[in-house]
Amino acid sequence: MSTTTTTGTPVARATSLVSSAAFRTFAVVCAITTPIIYVACEMQNWPLFTYHPGTNRVDLFYAPAVRNEGPAMHWYGWTATTLLVSGVLGVLATFLPENATRKIPLSLVWIVPLASIPVLIYALRFFWRW
Amino acid sequence: MGLLPDFVLDYVDVGTFWTILMIVHGLLAVALLGALTHQAMSVLMPVRQVAGAGAPGFVTRFRAVQGAGYAAAVCVLWIVTFIFGAWIYTKYRMYVRIPIEQQGFWKTQGVFELKEHLATIGLGLLPIYWLFWKDAKNPDYESARKWLTVTLAAMVWFMFLVGHIVNNVRGFGS
Repeated sequence: MSTTTTTGTPVARATSLVSSAAFRTFAVVCAITTPIIYVACEMQNWPLFTYHPGTNRVDLFYAPAVRNEGPAMHWYGWTATTLLVSGVLGVLATFLPENATRKIPLSLVWIVPLASIPVLIYALRFFWRW
Repeated sequence: MGLLPDFVLDYVDVGTFWTILMIVHGLLAVALLGALTHQAMSVLMPVRQVAGAGAPGFVTRFRAVQGAGYAAAVCVLWIVTFIFGAWIYTKYRMYVRIPIEQQGFWKTQGVFELKEHLATIGLGLLPIYWLFWKDAKNPDYESARKWLTVTLAAMVWFMFLVGHIVNNVRGFGS
């Protein structure tokens, strides 16, 4: 009788992910770097692409609004830049020794996002007028 | 007119399409809000069984949920709600934001900008949130799991209320 185990079921995959040190490192680094990179993208205006909803045109990186063609949207591009960069940093962190990545304080995964909020509020100061 | 596939217009008019999208986005947000609020309450005020205690009241039952069972649903709901919100945003930018600015509702627009920022930041927190809850018996994760869940719940409450405010300023029927 064959006793071959299958590892392809969703439950098995989730279990292996939970016990994976590499996934833990990836998730911790993603959580910490996402708010930092997003704040940088927003304040420095680093979109991966710019979407023009009036004409459905997409430009790579930053592009200003075109006269008589409506506004330019950069939020999609900031989001793409953030997820791409934090994902890459998360993957790179998995190559570090586990004893080093275990030293990252887990509290940073909620402290850094909370700390980014006052910075974002400041970045939006244009809107806080009477 | 925002990102709208042409074939859709064979079945519904433009206004109906965006209204359906908005309602689905809102319903998904309600589900996400409910799930995260239950979870946040369960970690902030965990229920401890007391021998001989009477039937639990509404608040006790509200916070007595098994938080781990919500984790995958919260992740999926966050992502799907985000996608719908991002889709509606194409319409919002043209037909809602411009009139809001013309009418001088700057703070309304400001809190909406903050809402979109939080939605993106929340995406990056989902993998660790999922891991914390899937390994719920790990004592190393207890504090971080608690405060991350509360943080995400607070973010969703803020985004939900701002969505309502913006809809009141210029939403359905405007």
